Amino acid sequence: MKQLLIKKVILLLMLSSWVGEVLGDYESTYQAKAHKSFIIENAVIDVGEGQGPFLGWIAVSEGRIQALGSSNESKPEVAERLDASGLWLTPGIIDVHSHLGDYPSPSYRAHSDGNEATSPVTAEVWAEHSVWPQDPQFPLALAGGVTALQILPGSANLFGGRSVVLKNVWSRTVQGMKFPGAPYGLKMACGENPKRVYGSKSQSPATRMGNFAGYRKAWIDAQEYQKKWQRYERSLNEYVAWESTKSGSDYKTRPSPPKRNLQMETLVGVLEGEILVHNHCYRADEMAQIIDLSQEFNYQVTAFHHAVEAYKIGDLLAVNNVCAAMWADWWQFKLESFDGVKSNVPMVHAAGACAIVHSDSATGIQRLNQEAAKALAAGQRLGLSLSDSDALTWLTRNAAKALGILDQTGTLATGKMADLVLWSHPPMSVYARAQMVFIDGVKQFDREKGIGPVTDFELGQREEIF
Amino acid sequence: MKNFVLMLVFVWGSSLALGDVLIKDARLVKDNGETGDVRDLHIKDGRIVEIGVNLKGTEETVIFDAMERAVTAGLIDSATTIGLAEVSGLGVSYDGEVSGDDMAAGFQVALALNPASTLIPLASNDGITRGIVVPEPGDSNFAGQSASVRFVQGRNFLQREDNGLHLYLRERDRRYAGGSRARALSLAVDALEEAGRFDRQREAFDSNELRPFAIGLDDLETLLRVRSGAMPLVVHVDRAADIRNVVDAFTAFPDLRLILAGAAEAWKVTESLLAHDIPVLINGLDNLPQNFDRLGARLDQAYLLSSAGVRFALMSGSPYSEFRSLTQAAGVAVANGLAWEQALLAITAVPAEIWGLEGLGKIDRGAKADLVIWSGDPLEVSSAPIAVMVEGGWVNLETRQDRLAKRYLEVLNLETKD
Repeated sequence: MKQLLIKKVILLLMLSSWVGEVLGDYESTYQAKAHKSFIIENAVIDVGEGQGPFLGWIAVSEGRIQALGSSNESKPEVAERLDASGLWLTPGIIDVHSHLGDYPSPSYRAHSDGNEATSPVTAEVWAEHSVWPQDPQFPLALAGGVTALQILPGSANLFGGRSVVLKNVWSRTVQGMKFPGAPYGLKMACGENPKRVYGSKSQSPATRMGNFAGYRKAWIDAQEYQKKWQRYERSLNEYVAWESTKSGSDYKTRPSPPKRNLQMETLVGVLEGEILVHNHCYRADEMAQIIDLSQEFNYQVTAFHHAVEAYKIGDLLAVNNVCAAMWADWWQFKLESFDGVKSNVPMVHAAGACAIVHSDSATGIQRLNQEAAKALAAGQRLGLSLSDSDALTWLTRNAAKALGILDQTGTLATGKMADLVLWSHPPMSVYARAQMVFIDGVKQFDREKGIGPVTDFELGQREEIF
Repeated sequence: MKNFVLMLVFVWGSSLALGDVLIKDARLVKDNGETGDVRDLHIKDGRIVEIGVNLKGTEETVIFDAMERAVTAGLIDSATTIGLAEVSGLGVSYDGEVSGDDMAAGFQVALALNPASTLIPLASNDGITRGIVVPEPGDSNFAGQSASVRFVQGRNFLQREDNGLHLYLRERDRRYAGGSRARALSLAVDALEEAGRFDRQREAFDSNELRPFAIGLDDLETLLRVRSGAMPLVVHVDRAADIRNVVDAFTAFPDLRLILAGAAEAWKVTESLLAHDIPVLINGLDNLPQNFDRLGARLDQAYLLSSAGVRFALMSGSPYSEFRSLTQAAGVAVANGLAWEQALLAITAVPAEIWGLEGLGKIDRGAKADLVIWSGDPLEVSSAPIAVMVEGGWVNLETRQDRLAKRYLEVLNLETKD
């Protein structure tokens, strides 16, 4: 694994002139407002590592967690103190599967921008170009404690396009929401959706084997494209070396770069390990074949999404280091979800794999803590040894890991972004509501004080409703 | 004791029983799901015959020790599709709507129901003992008649085939009336008027002395039953202005029993609902402004209706694909201000009363023995029924999903505490 990483780093350095920057990454302009130093005291704190809660404090400075500790440990002297007695403190909830902004409310066709269902391979589209920042569903998710979320293209296509990770903040632009430094994801899809959408147009894929033929063809094209650029890089390096000395007999001309191909850039980004694969896949047997596919083309699947049958292959997910992002109890709405069980998430966890609870729903995203609680209880009824604290990792640490932002957020640790939620009750209770939500140390939501973003859409027609 | 309980479940299976059961130490939860009087419940021939302390049965009585756990009446879901589709997304397996007809009042979903559905034990696992199986509109605002069901597999599944006539007047339903909601409402009122004319001239109609009606006989008879109050009219409508219009239009029929469903903006027109005592069925979790009819959708609607004194029941909405749990909706309503006791009533006694389900939704002497024994606070998402009774018979709680989970516990050799 480590060696592979080193190889990749070397390759990256080799290709640095074009992979060093992501072309077309319209830079994040997100900046947390006015940073204040403050300390939250007397909260029941769960840092999101599955270790269980403790009574303690957390100090925030410059938008980062400065320090945290239990009540009997000495804390820094900070003027602004927030007494959180009777409240529970967790890391911000992270939803790895959302379509907010791409499928906003109101949900008219004029607004429905989540699925470029015109060709089975649309790796060239980027979800961020569809996000409507004024979607009133963002503040509803914030009231549910969601501080960061991944917006994915839909699942009609084998390759749906690039995802984007957002901070759940009000902004005029999507650039103002983009999570600084978060890697891009690539949405892929197995099973019924691609074969239904294109099969019904008498076009490939019309079957699951058609799906696989489509993936493989695209990866072969991507390998070709990668080689073409590698050749160009080599000859460019040779030219640069020659130009600096002008030694040697034969005159060299500066090579011209191949024409950019947006579709291939995204796929090569995956092969280079820069873009994370988020693969919509329900059935266990299909997930197993996707893992083999990733080995054929030497890339890593970061997470299977929906993964309704992940409980059948938890061991396989663990050994291949693939996360499964799941619902607590959605099932039955299509044939490939018919084997859904309420203990899916805890069984994946118990098998040692990275389990995540996701929403894929503008309603569900408001209550991801309850979804985790349902899954937890189902696992406990089955006899699995699990705690509330384990269930919290499905919403925080593991989600951050799958988005490649665990070094920034997802757990409460010194130096990390101060993305925090204060809950009214233990977070796994149906009665728990987020009382306050902080993103990078800025209080974005305060239920008691009525502080929270109101989108442009809501102004004058819905602003009285949280 | 535990083994004995499990054995009971097996022996009694899922048929309605005419047995004699004593549930000892049942906690009749009231204020918060954890406190309440502990009582014994004596059940005979499907009904609760006595409630008291230290009750003794006869030699035939089978004892079930609830061990002071919370016991509630069986929950009632006012909007389900269980029995109409095994897999909802497979259009070919769904029987809940009819197309090609601009008047489907006579359509009853009851004849299509699958009483062997593997989804039935899932409802039991959420503590739901009764459901209203609701038709969706195909090409007509009048979508057809819902059925009421008992959640037991087998021939006792269907309870009533003409539970209510469903009329859809939400934003997207105007297309069935040529594109305007104004016409959709006036056509619905006209249909009821037409039914009245038909009734007044029935003899002339029978002897062929009358022009044929534009509406089929089946539909006319259905509409007549709605006019007379024999069957309620359930109007699915969201916008405040439309709710007012619907109330005005249908309360003009003096015997008609009007129920509103969905009703995202009902909280804005509570005075109109109160004036005519119109009950409302709401989806407690659906607060999205998905269209301009639902700009007022909010999570605390249950609390607002309760505060205003409007009768309302919570329904699950999309029950067995998305949010399985009716108790979750009730719990969320409590988190958003509704009193705990009101939340429980909104999934038990109130829907029973709205639908005219006699003897259901409450734990009273003489009531039908639909009972749920819970592992904890019934409204907590972590709680689950440990035993469920429908009209005196224990129901099967083992699902196909349980079998799958257990199989893969073994396949993966996962460690359990047992």
